[in-house]
Amino acid sequence: MKKTTLTICLILFSIPYAISQTCCSGGVPLSNNIGLPILEKGTWQFGMFYDYNNLNTLNNGSESLNDDSRLRITHSILLNMGYNITDNFSVEGLFTWVNQRRNITQFGNSNLDQTSGIGDAIVLGRYRIINKPDYEITVGAGIKIPIGSTDNKSDAGITLNADLQPGSNALDMIYITSFSKKFSFRPSFNLSTRLTYRTTGTNDEYLGTNDYKFGNEFQTYLTFSDQFLLFKQIITPSISFKYRDVNRDRVNGSEITSTGGDWIFLIPNFSIYLSPRILFSTQLELPLYANVKGTQLTPTYRINTGISFQITKKREVKINTTL
Amino acid sequence: MKTRSIYYTIAFLAILGCSPSGGETDPVNGGGSNGGGTSGDDFSTWSIPIDQVIDGGPGRDGIPSIENPAFYQANDPRVNTYMQSDDLILGVVRGGEVRAYPHRILDWHEIVNDEISGAKFSVNYCPLTGSAFAWESKVGGQETTFGVSGLLYNTNLILYDRATNSNWSQLTLECVNGPSLGDVPKNLEILETDWDTWKTMYPNSKVLSNDQGISRDYSVYPYGPYKDDHDFFIFPLSNLNPALPNKQRVHAVLNGTTSKAYTFDKFVGGKVVKDVIGNKDILVVGNSNIIYSFELNNTHSSLTFTYDFNGSGHFFIDDEGNKWMITGEAIEGPRTGQKLKATNSFMSFWFALAIFYPNPQIYQ
Repeated sequence: MKKTTLTICLILFSIPYAISQTCCSGGVPLSNNIGLPILEKGTWQFGMFYDYNNLNTLNNGSESLNDDSRLRITHSILLNMGYNITDNFSVEGLFTWVNQRRNITQFGNSNLDQTSGIGDAIVLGRYRIINKPDYEITVGAGIKIPIGSTDNKSDAGITLNADLQPGSNALDMIYITSFSKKFSFRPSFNLSTRLTYRTTGTNDEYLGTNDYKFGNEFQTYLTFSDQFLLFKQIITPSISFKYRDVNRDRVNGSEITSTGGDWIFLIPNFSIYLSPRILFSTQLELPLYANVKGTQLTPTYRINTGISFQITKKREVKINTTL
Repeated sequence: MKTRSIYYTIAFLAILGCSPSGGETDPVNGGGSNGGGTSGDDFSTWSIPIDQVIDGGPGRDGIPSIENPAFYQANDPRVNTYMQSDDLILGVVRGGEVRAYPHRILDWHEIVNDEISGAKFSVNYCPLTGSAFAWESKVGGQETTFGVSGLLYNTNLILYDRATNSNWSQLTLECVNGPSLGDVPKNLEILETDWDTWKTMYPNSKVLSNDQGISRDYSVYPYGPYKDDHDFFIFPLSNLNPALPNKQRVHAVLNGTTSKAYTFDKFVGGKVVKDVIGNKDILVVGNSNIIYSFELNNTHSSLTFTYDFNGSGHFFIDDEGNKWMITGEAIEGPRTGQKLKATNSFMSFWFALAIFYPNPQIYQ
């Protein structure tokens, strides 16, 4: 029973976290949800999420400039699939469809450029190295596979900038570790942390034969969550703090000035089981602090919402109803 | 069961409410990205290779031009809060009005749509090629303003005019896309030097203020090592000419398909040069801070010119006793009031001249 309770908690606490790719204006053109929990052997997990990322804040370093004329929006549809090969080892894949928009409203006119298409995909393996009743530690590694297109053109036939493309044409390595802790004073309360590091590959076909490399990225989450019963349904509110550090992008080996930076986000999340196997989750991501390199657009807010469900080998899920 | 249905409904509405079609509306220009314009106009034809036109990233007007620019007098104490003596400026002298446009402000805006005595013009500067012009603000006889298209050709600024939305390549000096395709802008005279030299020459000059109503930090150069690192390019280029360091500033003179570069190291201490480019006699005057050039017609080609700049006033003299300003205007002597015609010339980084006007000569 404890194991099942822990499993459900992990599902709730791990939806979603992002491996985000910076861009030359500091935006997040591709957001991915990865990190499905490690469940019982033979369990399948599926998730479909919608992610809306709004960048309408222009920063010079940590100073917010009085200029909201530039708007970058990324709409993403995210499809997760995971399978637990053993009780401690799982693999998962993430597939995306991305709509990137750049809208400039200036001098009474508005100009929109946008691309849409299949984005890059992620394949990830995770292993639970410690599995104690009150805490667990996992490690994992994966790759981002560049299946998204990078040559989308504007209405005028001009190839759009790298940060507006659905794909990156670069193979990235992703490393991940997580720690989760329960407490005896309130078993439903959970403290978890997660670290990810992404080393980016190089697109060596950028605008012909040039090299473009997005900056390496480090992210860490600290999450507090609890569970409650509401109308006989389990709800799980949580609060996360995310720190994100991104290096500058490089073109032909030289750093691009106005890319990269540091951010701290506050992420309130609300999740609820719609049925024993179906979980609805929604969250808001708000920047508490942004210190970009140079002058860049920086995230204004982000919404992520979706549904996930699981299919166990025995086609049943046990819910701890003794909360 | 009823409760569960409510949750399903909430979840469905939450996702639907955030869907891509639920938020934004299409832009005023009908989704027209760079190059888009009025319905019915032809924006499909480019006179330059479209595969060498690059989306620079910010998008059209993402780099905002300055409209209705604000100026300070050169001796205004506020100027010292943002201008350094060695800051490069673009200078315009028209009808007794003298104005300076600092690179440190143009690096962030690239275009200033200005007016002197009712005559409208657009100062345009590309930080990536170091090239600057002043164009009459007219397209097909119609007054307009220019904006930053967000596109680059050979890493050089492409402007767009707000009358027809046509795209104009700065360094090819022509409209390359849109209804005005093939039109050429009317160049007005513009000089480039450092602030100290300019305000000494023209103490009554005005200078673009650092308060243009657009929030930017003009104390920061936005391109990092770009202008000093001769090998660093943000966007790809081919056919670089190794004859000079890529980012070396040169005074480029054009005559048809012929071009010639004049470098500052040849003018240290002040110099006046009579030269020939193509079939045209020209006069090049300069020192280590400023270079400018003029066409010599029959009445002027017989004169012998001498550098004579003492920090203010005239810049050179001739053997008739005339004193000439750097702008080519005779302010003293028998030819007072005459003006030498400026060459078709511009300041730019060497690499840009060599790409747009291949195989330029270099004055030795």
